[in-house]
Amino acid sequence: MILKLENVSKSYEQIDALNTVSLEVKEGEVLGLVGPNGSGKSTMLKIMLGIIRPTSGKVLINGEELSGKKWIEFKKSVGYMPERVSFYDNLTGKETLQLFARVKGGELSNIKDVLGRLLPEDVLLRKVGGYSKGMRQRLNLAQALVNEPGFLVLDEPTSGLDPVGTKQFYDILEEVKERKKLTAILSSHILAEIEDKTDRVAVMKNGSLKAVGRLEELCEGMNMPLRLYITIKRKDECLEKVLMKEGAVELGYKNGYLLASIPRENKLELIAAIMEEKDRFTDISIREPSLEEVFFGVH
Amino acid sequence: MFTDAMWAIAHKELSDKLKSKWVIVIGTGFALFTLVISYFGGATAGVTGFMSLDATIASLTSLVTYFIPILALTLGGGIIADEQEKGTLGIYLSSPISIGEFIIGKFTGLVIALVLSIVAGLGIAGAVLLWKIGLGSAGTYLIFVLNSVILGVTFLSASFLISVLFYERTKVIALTIFLWLFFTILYDLGLIGLLIITKGNVGTDVFSMLLMFNPVDIYRILNFVSIGEFQVMIGLASVDFPTYIRPSMLWGISMIWIIAPLGISCYYFKKRYLE
Repeated sequence: MILKLENVSKSYEQIDALNTVSLEVKEGEVLGLVGPNGSGKSTMLKIMLGIIRPTSGKVLINGEELSGKKWIEFKKSVGYMPERVSFYDNLTGKETLQLFARVKGGELSNIKDVLGRLLPEDVLLRKVGGYSKGMRQRLNLAQALVNEPGFLVLDEPTSGLDPVGTKQFYDILEEVKERKKLTAILSSHILAEIEDKTDRVAVMKNGSLKAVGRLEELCEGMNMPLRLYITIKRKDECLEKVLMKEGAVELGYKNGYLLASIPRENKLELIAAIMEEKDRFTDISIREPSLEEVFFGVH
Repeated sequence: MFTDAMWAIAHKELSDKLKSKWVIVIGTGFALFTLVISYFGGATAGVTGFMSLDATIASLTSLVTYFIPILALTLGGGIIADEQEKGTLGIYLSSPISIGEFIIGKFTGLVIALVLSIVAGLGIAGAVLLWKIGLGSAGTYLIFVLNSVILGVTFLSASFLISVLFYERTKVIALTIFLWLFFTILYDLGLIGLLIITKGNVGTDVFSMLLMFNPVDIYRILNFVSIGEFQVMIGLASVDFPTYIRPSMLWGISMIWIIAPLGISCYYFKKRYLE
């Protein structure tokens, strides 16, 4: 399933929430959606899900524009995990899932194996009113999967989960994705968290799409410097001078590392120069900038 | 066609009201009210006890015109605001159901809850009454209960419109109280004012037509014309009505009062989100 937005804009009275956005979500990929609050992420997700209609532009599935009953047909294969859902306190977890399974035309048995890992049977039979925030998030994921979607939209999915829960969440997502050839959009503020969970990243600001691509592509496109980590025993001014001579900037010491940003074009020369001083350090590594650095680079 | 998704939504609304004891509490409270009114309805005339069916229905009509509208308005007024607050509205809207299925599903669940509480409330008093005065009047009493149910469903439909128009709970409460006051008191006061200003020179047809714009007045007239010759009706509904005003016509107008707000709710909800 290929979802495409073509020149999509959305205005509320005099405010432009989304400004001529074009984006393609490829089949089987996980697209990360990042941007600050008010950047238009939620509006874009809601337009993709048919919750709101764009003021102008088109939403296409496999090249066909969605309208009228085609939306209903598309929604049969959609799973949506909204941010901050408290559900109904007076229903049990199981009753909640049964409700949404019927509304979406799915069945609870569809997620039997996943459900066991998300919410144990005894928790599932308890009223949602007694659930922790983390349990509600797990229930939220379960309802998003209950109709075996081909297209999954996750809005801040790990908000409220502890590190173990977060890892488990991504493990389950990976498992479901592998099994179902799932296309997913993952929106998050925790940039480092989705960095290695997504195939591509879309960066938004002020209702516009600022950049889309693989993290490496974005870094190269923006010619962002690489990060150099040199493991040293003590502060070393000689090494600092070598680095600066080869164009390294933002030098600093942290946790036994000498850190520096190095220009991509000087990478090989710089490594050769440092290797001449190899007795002064024990290890060296070069890393791509983090998603956080790309994100702020774009902004 | 009533789809499985609509049944699921309706079932959730109904089971909410059953689990929260809403139906039992309202039904029991309503039953107590009706019993007290049925028994003491003639106290001002120095008579107590279960009297004739006409007199009892007249007394109960007064109770119903105040009690059922506020009950129905509060029942559905926050229905969309609740989903919005819980964050579940987005899940429904991203599901393969139309806005109409969503609204009608919720409406159906609440109609069943409302009907159960009204039937329980009026039914207990009715059973006692019929036991005292005989089963011969059962049909008449059933028509009165049916009319009361229609009044309740009419205001429930209006409450859905409020719910779709306003998502903020304070605005929902304010409009609910205003609508209740408007239809139960202010509208009729306005008509009395009109009669005073025109010195009673408002034609019967015009006056009857004006009454059709208030579902509470329709209910009073409906009881008057469908139940028969009881002369103790109070207020504006005791004026002379044109002969063409028949129960079927009033039931038809009541249906418009039910369908129109619900239709506008679906339209506005769709417009608000999907356009």
